[in-house]
Amino acid sequence: MIGYRAGTSPLHRAHPYTPLALASALLLAVFALGSPGAVGCAVLAAALLALTGNVLGYSARPALTLGLATWVLLLVLHGLLGPEPFAALGPVSVSEPGLRRALVLGGRLTAILLAFLTVLAVVSPARLVEAMTARGVPFARMYLLVSSLTLVPRMRARAALILEAQQCRGLRLGGSPLARVLALGPLVLPLVLGALAEVDEQVLALDARGAGLPGPRTALEPPADSALQRGLRWLGLALAAAAFAFRFAGHPL
Amino acid sequence: MTAPLVRLEGATFCFSGADEPALDSVTVAFARGEVVLLAGAPGAGTTTLLLVAGGFAPRLVGGTLGGAVCSDARRPAIVFATPWTQLTGLCHTVLAEVAFAPAGAGLPREEVRDAAERSLERMGALHLAARDPATLSGGELQRVIVAAALAMDPDILLLDDPAAELDPAGADDLYALLPRLAAAGAAVLVATPDRERAARAASRALALEAGRVVADGPPAAVLSDTPVARIARAAGCPAPLPLDVDALVARVAR
Repeated sequence: MIGYRAGTSPLHRAHPYTPLALASALLLAVFALGSPGAVGCAVLAAALLALTGNVLGYSARPALTLGLATWVLLLVLHGLLGPEPFAALGPVSVSEPGLRRALVLGGRLTAILLAFLTVLAVVSPARLVEAMTARGVPFARMYLLVSSLTLVPRMRARAALILEAQQCRGLRLGGSPLARVLALGPLVLPLVLGALAEVDEQVLALDARGAGLPGPRTALEPPADSALQRGLRWLGLALAAAAFAFRFAGHPL
Repeated sequence: MTAPLVRLEGATFCFSGADEPALDSVTVAFARGEVVLLAGAPGAGTTTLLLVAGGFAPRLVGGTLGGAVCSDARRPAIVFATPWTQLTGLCHTVLAEVAFAPAGAGLPREEVRDAAERSLERMGALHLAARDPATLSGGELQRVIVAAALAMDPDILLLDDPAAELDPAGADDLYALLPRLAAAGAAVLVATPDRERAARAASRALALEAGRVVADGPPAAVLSDTPVARIARAAGCPAPLPLDVDALVARVAR
């Protein structure tokens, strides 16, 4: 399950920019890190972020599921087909630099997935809207970001409704793999066409309700911020910048 | 009649890719203080007339507009029959959803909150203020969407089958509100197949066929095909025919 999960953890209560900034800092930092150990620390930092948000299980499962295929591909490509020297790993001989490369790339992917799935789980879209409104972010940018963040849960809910309706009309979901693939048609077509049709009315409704008006919007309940949180956000970004500085100075961590 | 708020002169509107115009040479004016019922079979052009009168077509829906549309309306609000397509998708409480338009105008926070609460109260939906819009029933959502339109303090309110999701009592309440909104200075246009209820609220009716206005006048003169009117005609009632059950009962009682 990807999406917001209500809670009372420190990350849930924090200003929405704080988990976003920490995850963004992590994303930047992992690209500056070059050793499996350092990337492993980044994965641990992402796991710590998820733990602080009390959503570790919630974020780790989809992160591992989404990253599994890439991990397998990386290990085969770099570990088995990488450059010399090779080392025996049980009955298999693997390329040492290839294995290091696979661990770095796979670790980066895992850290990024874990951090951003955590952000999705702990940042309430409503509070993010209020925070962005209070900072004077233009509506179009806000709409683009928040509708992207809420896309998966909204499409899932819509798909569930369509699936129920189609099952009521005789759609069978079981059977052979081919039958399952064929059953996707009655789900996907109404899902996509229905979403497109509703966009027209939503554009009208948003425009009629002044979504395109210039000037600042009023935030009804802007989330509280603090000097500590602001400091934490800047510290995260400073650490990411420092990681890049080390890398460009020829001493990647 | 006061000066028109919106005036269409020979307006012809054609949706992109359509062979026939959805509005054909329509000349009509709408003034503040009026509740105008737009009556017509599906495809007659009532929704299109709402879109053109509100300035939404062709600006947002595409298509081509011929003739002239002169409008002094500054705050048009529109409500469709499908309330779930009119949620902003950004608000997770009903209060925030209704406050969306006043908040967009940059009003002070207390004014925004007051406007939203007042509108919810008018629609009998204040008790829903803290709810997530995604958890509401169709009828509750329809009240919220109408409240969101009212929170804009519209000078022209365009309603397209606004009671489609409402229960009979909710529909009665909504239509009873329309003359009060008009009396407060708005022009209210309502397109609906529920002619009996709408006729009670309307001060004027337009009948459309194939995109053309074929009749324009008091509801009792324009609408003669409601089920109650047909019964009254069959019973030999003289014109103007009663359009709804209450009017028929009153006529019989006389």
